[in-house]
Amino acid sequence: MTFVRFLATRLATLAFVLLTVSFLTYAIFVLLPADPAQLACGRPCTPERLETARAYMGLDRSVVEQWWEFVRGVLTGRTFGSAGATVDCPRPCLGYSFAHNTPVTELIVGRIGVTASLAIGAAMLWLVLGVGAGAVAAVRRGTVLDRGLMVAAITGVSAPSYLVGLLGILLFGFTLDMVPVSGYVPFRDSPVDWAWHLVLPWSVLALLSAAVYTRLTRSQMLEELGAPYVRTARAKGITEERVVTRHALRNAAIPVVTLFALDLGALLGGAVITERVFSMPGLGALLMEAVGRTDVPLLVGVTVFTAAVVVVANLAVDVVHGVLDPRVRRGGRAR
Amino acid sequence: MSPVTRGPERPHLSFRTPSFRTLPYPEDKKDHMNNAPRTPHRPSGRAVAAGIAVAAMLALSACNANSRPAGEADAEPTAVQQGGTLRILTPSDAINWDPATSQNLAITTLGLVERRLTSWKTNPDGSTEVVPDLATDTGTPSDDGASWTFTLKDGLAFEDGTPVTSADVKYSVERSFAPELSGGLSYHKNLLKGADGYNGPYQGDELDSIETPDDKTLVFHLDSAYGDWPWIVSMPAFGAVPEAKDDIRTYTTQPVATGPYRVAETVEGTSVTLERNPEWDPSTDEARTAGPDSVVFELSQDETVVAQRLIADSGDDASAFGGSFVPPAQLAQVQQGPAQDRLVTSGPGALAYLAINTEAEGLDDVDVRRAVSLAVDKNAYRVAAGGEIAGDFATTLVTPGIPGREEYSNGVNDAAPEGDVERAESLLEEAGWSGRQLRLVVQDDAPTLARAQAVQQGLERAGLKVKIVPQADDVWTQTVTQGDGSGYDLTLSSWQPDFPSANGNIQPLFHSSQVGGGGYNLARYTSPEADDLIDRATQATDPDAAAALWVEADQLVLGDAPVVPLIYTKNSFLHGSKVENFRIPDFPAYPNYLQVSLAP
Repeated sequence: MTFVRFLATRLATLAFVLLTVSFLTYAIFVLLPADPAQLACGRPCTPERLETARAYMGLDRSVVEQWWEFVRGVLTGRTFGSAGATVDCPRPCLGYSFAHNTPVTELIVGRIGVTASLAIGAAMLWLVLGVGAGAVAAVRRGTVLDRGLMVAAITGVSAPSYLVGLLGILLFGFTLDMVPVSGYVPFRDSPVDWAWHLVLPWSVLALLSAAVYTRLTRSQMLEELGAPYVRTARAKGITEERVVTRHALRNAAIPVVTLFALDLGALLGGAVITERVFSMPGLGALLMEAVGRTDVPLLVGVTVFTAAVVVVANLAVDVVHGVLDPRVRRGGRAR
Repeated sequence: MSPVTRGPERPHLSFRTPSFRTLPYPEDKKDHMNNAPRTPHRPSGRAVAAGIAVAAMLALSACNANSRPAGEADAEPTAVQQGGTLRILTPSDAINWDPATSQNLAITTLGLVERRLTSWKTNPDGSTEVVPDLATDTGTPSDDGASWTFTLKDGLAFEDGTPVTSADVKYSVERSFAPELSGGLSYHKNLLKGADGYNGPYQGDELDSIETPDDKTLVFHLDSAYGDWPWIVSMPAFGAVPEAKDDIRTYTTQPVATGPYRVAETVEGTSVTLERNPEWDPSTDEARTAGPDSVVFELSQDETVVAQRLIADSGDDASAFGGSFVPPAQLAQVQQGPAQDRLVTSGPGALAYLAINTEAEGLDDVDVRRAVSLAVDKNAYRVAAGGEIAGDFATTLVTPGIPGREEYSNGVNDAAPEGDVERAESLLEEAGWSGRQLRLVVQDDAPTLARAQAVQQGLERAGLKVKIVPQADDVWTQTVTQGDGSGYDLTLSSWQPDFPSANGNIQPLFHSSQVGGGGYNLARYTSPEADDLIDRATQATDPDAAAALWVEADQLVLGDAPVVPLIYTKNSFLHGSKVENFRIPDFPAYPNYLQVSLAP
């Protein structure tokens, strides 16, 4: 019963967050002095045609009205256009991109595969690398290995992804000619090519993010290894290997998993720079195009979708924590 | 004419392949769905002179004897190598194939799939001429020049075998008026009679000024005489769209082909593959050589990576070319490396200029504007734009190679490229210049800011205080093309005509009807005298008379110094080692996609 109430509260919060994000996004883009209708006006443009374009795109209405239409569309779907040439946007309708002549939901669905491939693969890689390196560094604390890993981690945290990406392309793509330099092959076309095209972007993203996990895992592990229960375990004669993997690492993993879920959620919203550098047509690339064209419906739709993924990832973490750790749900508050 | 943008396929509405934007660089933003990279560019125009003049004469003289019969004459004996897969690398994430919303030039992406009433043929000598495409000639004007008649060629068919009729062309033009399909080249919307308030065919309305007396004949009725109409009907909306296959949602990805290729496969955001259209008959087409067996557009490509791939020239990349301009950093690298033979730079194209807001306080005085013109350092501007390869110094409004351009001197326009600071100072003193700060509003990107600084330093030599105000692209567009113009004193832009006529240079930038409301008269220049001259030149059906009037208009307008012509920009493109017939004509400053072929 308490768990149900916990879940209900979280879901209500989720809805509230999404409504707020969508409204703010609308307000920001609508208040900008840029005029999306200008781009839809054609060349040459006349004041009359500008007005027609504005009316068709719904830009002649107030921010609140536009936002309300958007929210309604998510729940019930919408129809755009005039008699004779209408276009349907079935629910959940995240808006209609006039630049692409396509519902935003459809565009997101078309791109999510790329972003998911990139994000999930990279996340797996950095989780293994980061946690592994962190654990090793903690166990070998103070050694050259520990220092070396920490230096590498700091470098990774500070390196900009566009630089690492371009250097990676230059080295492994052009100079060594080991991997394709750009492009994306859908998994269903050829799983091998799919993975082959993704190796470099995975590595670049993983290298940069793993650094954070290395540092986090190391500090958590040091804390756990110094905890009384570890001393007790050792005193009971449990092998060091078992102490480290079964006891310390497992407990150290809780904050790591939390961070991981949030990072993965954010990455699923699009790795803007990495996608651009590697010519991956994912959500990040879609967002960039939308910004370039002031495609407000697309901007709002993608932003709300990204927010939803992050919020859901957050919720998932809370639920998992709640299940794992009864203290969380007993208090009726997450963390 | 559009403002220039960066790469040929601009990304904005990515509907335009070569997209253009009003930016100082190459295209693409607008073309968003097209291949144009988000950089904009526009075609450049140079001397199409000979070709154009001839074509124009042929087109304009109402005499049938001068009409060009289809197919006959220029069937070129030179065989073009057939076969292979051509790759076109573009930053755009989609290609918009819908002719109603496309701003493509006749010789780029859309032209591979879609034929129009007329097309452009580019010749090895650099000239570009308007040639019949779907039509048997480039149009026959009525005596008053306000009605134009076209006849379709025999045996034309869509990719599914259905014959192309005049009703399909009429329908294609009509649908471009629908608000749902806005954003394309719209010149015809201001020219056709009764077009005001017409909102497309989707509610059952027809546009009465397009008559189709039979399946082969089209008659267009214009508001007044318009000598460049043969060029207007080379624009995307003047293709053929079968009403039965028209779904505004899907036409942008699934067009019905009339050209040598049809769309075979589209992978969202990744690639578009074209295959041969078996219904296309090469003997009816003077503009396209259709060498490659298939064409693959690789989308969402980073321009820097594209340049590196083309420099490396390995594997399939040997059969590829970049659809956007080579970025400045790679330009230097290419010019010194082994890839320099594969770098193709256009002649002088778009006009890059400094616009002076003639309504702003103090700048309404022509002497102050002349002082600004004299104080600008065009040489510093060109250095900031990339040096000599970026373009030639500009002295006129009409760009080189377009009929209606003549070198002249009004004592200001042909001062040394470094400017004449002393004269500028004395003019300012005589005019009693207040010494207020001028706001130079420009797009917020590194290349533009570098150019703005060059302008700022030049003006400050004469004691003019300048503050650079960077704005995001869209905000900038809004500031300078809409409203009352109170937000800026000076701005930088560039412009390349959408068709090679002085009309395209002068009218959009200096006619009083183009002030605010989305128009590109950034100087907010209004002169009844200039308007009258522009109107008369537009209506002239004799090309020599028209050219003479444009020369006069150029001098009249620049005499009032509403803008400072800076350089005629050049565009550079890179291609792989197996790509042949990759040529940039004098106009536009973009490669002709329709004639590119591959070595075996």
